[in-house]
Amino acid sequence: MARRNERAAGIGSRAVQIGFLLGILVLWYLATNRWGVNRLLLPNPIAVWQQLLDVLKSGEYLPDLRITLTELAAAFALSLTFGTIVGYFVSRTGYTIRVFEPLFAGIYSIPIILFLPLYVLFFGLGPESKIALGATISFFPIVLSTIAGFGNVDRTLVTAAKSMGASDYQLFRYVLVPAALPVILSGLRMGFTIALLAIIGSEVIASLAGLGHHIVQLAEGMDMARMFAYIAFVVAIAALLNSVVSFLEARGRRWT
Amino acid sequence: MTTRDAAVRIKGVSHQFGEAGETQYVRALADTSLDIARGELLCLIGPSGCGKSTLLNVIGGLMAPTGGNVEVAGKPVRGPMPQDIAFVFQENALFPWNTVLENVRLGMLFQGVPKSEHEARAKLSLEAVGLVEFANHYPSQLSGGMRQRAALARALSLKTDILLMDEPFGALDEQTRMILGEDLSVLLSRTEKTIVFVTHSLGEAVFLADRVAVFSARPGAIKKIIRVDEPHPRKPEFITSKKFAALRNELYALLHDEIRKTVAESARAPEGS
Amino acid sequence: MSFSARPYLLRHPGVVRLGVVVLMLIVWEIAARWFIDPLFISPPSRVLLSLGAVWQTSGVPAALRLTLFELATAFAIAVVIGLTVGLAVGLQPFARRSLMPIILLLYGLPQITILPLFILYFGIGAASKIAFGVTHGMFPIVIAIVAGVQNLKPILLVSARSMGASRWQILRWVIFPHMIPSFFAGMRLGMSGALLGVLLAELYVSTAGIGHFTTMFTENFDPTKLFGLVAMLAAMAIVLNEIVRRAETRFSRWR
Repeated sequence: MARRNERAAGIGSRAVQIGFLLGILVLWYLATNRWGVNRLLLPNPIAVWQQLLDVLKSGEYLPDLRITLTELAAAFALSLTFGTIVGYFVSRTGYTIRVFEPLFAGIYSIPIILFLPLYVLFFGLGPESKIALGATISFFPIVLSTIAGFGNVDRTLVTAAKSMGASDYQLFRYVLVPAALPVILSGLRMGFTIALLAIIGSEVIASLAGLGHHIVQLAEGMDMARMFAYIAFVVAIAALLNSVVSFLEARGRRWT
Repeated sequence: MTTRDAAVRIKGVSHQFGEAGETQYVRALADTSLDIARGELLCLIGPSGCGKSTLLNVIGGLMAPTGGNVEVAGKPVRGPMPQDIAFVFQENALFPWNTVLENVRLGMLFQGVPKSEHEARAKLSLEAVGLVEFANHYPSQLSGGMRQRAALARALSLKTDILLMDEPFGALDEQTRMILGEDLSVLLSRTEKTIVFVTHSLGEAVFLADRVAVFSARPGAIKKIIRVDEPHPRKPEFITSKKFAALRNELYALLHDEIRKTVAESARAPEGS
Repeated sequence: MSFSARPYLLRHPGVVRLGVVVLMLIVWEIAARWFIDPLFISPPSRVLLSLGAVWQTSGVPAALRLTLFELATAFAIAVVIGLTVGLAVGLQPFARRSLMPIILLLYGLPQITILPLFILYFGIGAASKIAFGVTHGMFPIVIAIVAGVQNLKPILLVSARSMGASRWQILRWVIFPHMIPSFFAGMRLGMSGALLGVLLAELYVSTAGIGHFTTMFTENFDPTKLFGLVAMLAAMAIVLNEIVRRAETRFSRWR
């Protein structure tokens, strides 16, 4: 009896979710087609769909996508390298952890996007400023999780390995890395997600190219339908990238 | 037994943490001297904080004592001696990301055993502890008792003369302890290893040991050494014998006051124990 | 009695941390003075000395006040919406099952992509900044409150009911006090979110807020004033964060 109620509740909530999404679409359609909402504020959903298909077919997104992805790859490569290396060395003694971890955590607590104007002043409006900002912002979750990962390795494991004669290299490779990996991987995933947001954000705010910038261009041209379509496209790309990264993280944590 | 060489010589070992006058100052171990004969199983038993685990770590080279020194196989101990000494810890010493078999092999890799011997030695030690069917299981998939068997297999595969065990069954329930104790006795009767075994359990000490060193409350010193004259492997019937009860009572009498002292001490001192 | 430095430093990692920060400032100072074009970077000494000039630049204090106003308004609205929606969804299990996935989905979207849309709808004035701050701030609050209600141990409700408590009494004396730590945790995240939203909108387009001046200083290649302004904003962010964090610790003591 309880299980039937459980299942009914499950189906019911699914129904509400689907109903909610459908309802939004219906309202959207009615608003633009029946209730006379200004097309300059809210485009016709059908027009948005057509624009989306056009964007995809024409491949107009390709140069922007390439730029954004390049910026993302470069930024993440930088933050991953520096974050893990610095994090490892900080984690080696309790003292260095006590010195540096609060420093990194403190800086991370402020919105680092604030420094975007500084980077734009220094690097210009090109991809370098996006890469620099993306790398800076994503450095912090990576370094913090690396410190946590290596710093919280069960001491007994280290003692056991040393008592069996493990060399420093063997200790690192066979004990420290596997023990720290789950935490580090989750930090890498966070860093990636944040880098993506930072880069798209800086493209919206101050850029000459890239996916974020293209949305701004469409907004300035008041091309509402196409802008909505482009926004949907960018959101989809971001979601896709994040799923891939989450999947990779889960794969890396197979033994937990 | 006295005609054999001493496998381990403990000479005037004492240990303190911190300097006198500091808040973290603790005299963990008072002047202790002892010779452990080759092939004997010595139990260290005493109240919490009496320094028995400290002494074990000193013997194994995991800790340098602030006073005295230890000789193992004629050589002074200056650090871990993986060729001569293997450890079994209370828990959490198996690498959770490796299977049982991988754990055993990793131990051999660390010690420097040639790869060609890994397979054979691993198989032998897993058979000895009865874990062959679980070779490809992960520690999280095993019960506490099986995990300790795996830890023991790893230690055995290193073929050291000396085995140091720090409350290996401490995290297990009584019934598992009983079974593992019996199996351990059978297993060790087949080898010539020298074993030093730290425990809290009176019954375990009498059942397994050739000699039991009873420690006083902190700072611990050996109060008395009791000899258990019973051939190995020890049978389950030994536990119900009068000899066993007498020995156990003797241990109890020696320990009871020390335990009371320790409890009173820890009630007074808020932290740092 | 001689003073040995090492044990002192060993016991005070905070001092060493300060030393690290000072070291970084020195490196910045040297690099800015002798190695990098002063058009792009300004040494900290000069930035510090010109803070007064920044403050006196016409419009800057008003801009800071405006930005604070935008933040406070956005935060207040986010709290109200977050609390209402959070309680409504959290207290009703069916609502939670149906609506939480949608809420989480919306939370995961990169909101920055619709910033131009917000500007189109709300204009380039304070309204768009406040609106963007609200949308960034309200989600963490909803999620924290729902989580807070959810981890209420059922045994507490059972024992209250067994003592004859009415629905209202349970809400007032069991659920509400239990939720305060989660509420403050949500507020902390909500504050960061609102700050982020307001800042993003300001940096995008601003006629009277601090975004206007960051653009101005950037376009005029005035790194001194720009660093100074950014430093002031960073200090403001740190202070706000600290205030909310302390409030959270104080009200979460029973955890």
